[in-house]
Amino acid sequence: MSVRLFFATDVHGSEACWRKFINSGKHYDADVLILGGDMTGKAVVPIMDNGGGKYTFHMQDIRHDLDGADALALNQRAIRDHGYYPVVMTPEQRNEFTSDPDKLDELFDQQMRRTVEEWIAWADERLAGADMRCIVCPGNDDRTDIDELLASSSQIEVGEGNVLDLPEGYQLASSGWTNLTPWDTPREEDEPALKARIEGIVAQATVSPERLVLGLHAPPFDTQLDVAPKIDWESLTVQGQNVAHVGSTAVREVIEQVQPILSLHGHIHESRAAVRIGRTLAVNPGSSYVEGTLSGCVIELDGKKKLKRYRLTMG
Amino acid sequence: MATNAAPPEQTLFVRKASGLVKAWAGGDGFRYSFFSVNVFLAIWSFAYATFIPGGSLFWAIVITVPFIVLEIVVYAALISAMPRAGGDYVWMTRIFNSPVGFVLAAAGWWFILWQWLPIYADMGVQTTVKPILRIVGADGGADWLGTNHGIFVAALVVIIISSVLVAVGMKAYAKFQKWAIWIGLIGVVVAGILLLVTSGASYKQKYNDAANKYYGDRGTLDLTKYETDAAGVFKYDDAGALIPMMGADGKTPEQYASAYDATAAVGKGTGQPSSAFSGGLSWATWTLIPFMLFWMAWPNWGATLYGEVRGAKDFRKNIYQMLGGLLVPTVIALGFLGLMAWRMGYQTFMGTMSAFWWGVSPFGGDYISPTAMISWIVPNQAFQIVLIAAISLLLFGWYGTVFLSSTRMIFAAAFDRILPESAAKVTSGGVPVIALVLMIIPSIICSALYAYTPIDAGTGVTWFKLFTYDATLVILVMFLGSGLAFMVMPWRAKVIWDSTPIPKWKIGPIPVLSIIAAGFSAFLIFSLWLFLKDAVYGVNNGKSLIFMGALYVLAIAIWVIAYFVRKRQGMALETVAKEIPVE
Repeated sequence: MSVRLFFATDVHGSEACWRKFINSGKHYDADVLILGGDMTGKAVVPIMDNGGGKYTFHMQDIRHDLDGADALALNQRAIRDHGYYPVVMTPEQRNEFTSDPDKLDELFDQQMRRTVEEWIAWADERLAGADMRCIVCPGNDDRTDIDELLASSSQIEVGEGNVLDLPEGYQLASSGWTNLTPWDTPREEDEPALKARIEGIVAQATVSPERLVLGLHAPPFDTQLDVAPKIDWESLTVQGQNVAHVGSTAVREVIEQVQPILSLHGHIHESRAAVRIGRTLAVNPGSSYVEGTLSGCVIELDGKKKLKRYRLTMG
Repeated sequence: MATNAAPPEQTLFVRKASGLVKAWAGGDGFRYSFFSVNVFLAIWSFAYATFIPGGSLFWAIVITVPFIVLEIVVYAALISAMPRAGGDYVWMTRIFNSPVGFVLAAAGWWFILWQWLPIYADMGVQTTVKPILRIVGADGGADWLGTNHGIFVAALVVIIISSVLVAVGMKAYAKFQKWAIWIGLIGVVVAGILLLVTSGASYKQKYNDAANKYYGDRGTLDLTKYETDAAGVFKYDDAGALIPMMGADGKTPEQYASAYDATAAVGKGTGQPSSAFSGGLSWATWTLIPFMLFWMAWPNWGATLYGEVRGAKDFRKNIYQMLGGLLVPTVIALGFLGLMAWRMGYQTFMGTMSAFWWGVSPFGGDYISPTAMISWIVPNQAFQIVLIAAISLLLFGWYGTVFLSSTRMIFAAAFDRILPESAAKVTSGGVPVIALVLMIIPSIICSALYAYTPIDAGTGVTWFKLFTYDATLVILVMFLGSGLAFMVMPWRAKVIWDSTPIPKWKIGPIPVLSIIAAGFSAFLIFSLWLFLKDAVYGVNNGKSLIFMGALYVLAIAIWVIAYFVRKRQGMALETVAKEIPVE
């Protein structure tokens, strides 16, 4: 029996993309859904409460003036679909968040946790009774407390640091940790430490390489999966048209050594591609979360030793 | 966890997270658009425009600009909404469906670019290589380049250069482009200054000196006078050939006194107007628009190459860059037109433009290269070569990228499994081997057709070369598909539309941007109607229509085969473009 996986990654707080991910099993007739990390959003949009049911907010430099609760709800959803957290606040509260980084940090924490809880509840309801598995592994942009929230789900299995059994005797070894980035994100470390971490996880696997799937958020170094605009680490400024390979050497080395049948990656949104590294198919479906489109990959394993076929998707 | 403190009046709070960058090099998008709306293509199209002498070239350019601005707005919005490799293919497949998107985009981004290779090669040879060979006295080489074999080999060279550039990566080429644009523009400024500081009489003298030196002394200058009517327009015999004006002996044709006089006679003889404004906003001027689209329609050429973190989602920035890419070359082209008209007289200048395509070039049949004839102002061969070569960088800096967009489209279709996985195969060195092969082999075939198909009696060029404007038409059809797709995007791709940062202004229930897209689409339909209505554009003849039809049939065949193959594999091709339900 073959096994069909649907893999997506880097939804970054986009509610539309999360919902699409949960609904993708039916859409693509998948047996297992795998989310490869970076669930949480990067930004909070302050919606100014002007009183009298009137609100104002800015999205990508465009000012939006709202009148009434319906308009507010509609725009809050649009902001969430975009991957941002809409928070209604007064100008005084906004000034507090502006001047107090700790308070702002608390706000982010609160928004991320609340959103993940809501997402889990929605997923639990949707996936209940469905004949499919759903595995979520946080990524480098996700704070570590997300894992325990995910673990509370009745339908979602947590990938981070685990080797999970898949149908037909396959196993999935996952980690959302990456090599160092210019942004000092929650789950990143230098290459030796990352390699030790991944090797430790892979060592838990009990199947042969042709039945092993790796789910590693960082793409392997020097492939078509890890090409990103070159960034100055100090100023965080893109350096013109220059691009660089920003993937992980540790990830590449582990793939080269272990040679799993499949290796799933994310992290670099613009490097949507699939490449062969020896016998391993390495895939990064990229991410288009900002537009509410779910970039993904449908992979069919033949139930024996071969990867039958795969297809990058945008749905 | 520390977060980035936001400045006062902050409208967005961000935390430390991957991919959040502060800026990008805005010049890159402009440079790409500037190269695409190429000054060389402009001047090349001016020569075609001589076939509609009743129209005003100046006004044709001016009235085309606002329509291209509509295109810029539509594409800026599409890029902003979906900055995806594959551009038009991705947009049309997602907003319409897989077959429509694939067929239009495969024809427009992939197949028709096969035809651009020999066109680019021909332009490079005629405007730059041949004039330089004439200057250095390598007439044998220059003449050979004008032969079938020469044209074919030149096209092969361009194919090789383009392939190597894709193979070795664009990084080095991008650097070359930065230099090319500046050196080319310096050349343009020098050319402008030369025209400004040279008197009409002096220019005429220098023109004749160069003509005598590079052609006359070598016996290739043709100053034959031809019979004209009372208005000075050439007469033709029953076979469509010019009638030499015989001298007193009845055997020897009369001669013009100089190359300049011969060129002026060509301008008059081919019916060129005395002013760029002649014709005003008449119908003839509107019929020049298809010729203008040959060079003005491409500020959106980089649409497939934008990426998320480079700021591609910034609608306004996209507009500014493409607008700059349209307006700067337009101003240069108009400035060139004005200076040449001021220095030579508009009719004589248009004589230099019409001479080659009308088969009456006094310069041994050569195309009278605008950059060469400006360089002749300075009677120094080294200077002439440097100036011609410098300005040519505006062409050579661009056409190395001709395969780039095609490979992106092929990749996107391969990811969607319309093409086999192998079509997106990239070697360990990053070479998209199969995609390149899918471009190279058909390009060689098209180059052979361009060089070796029989000569069309009416125009003196091969019949494949005659429908050069197919290369514009098929791409415009694809643009029309994208224009219509964007027009209906608010309804057909509501989730994406709602999440885009583009302005959502409305007139009644209709988004303003949809109205702009409708305007752009209507303009394209009008232009396509002109293309297909009148034989002057060379596209509505039987062979041309068969060629274009074959491209669409090929695209349809690929999609249909893919559909059944994938169906047999249990992979529904239609889900490629189908949106996953949100609720």
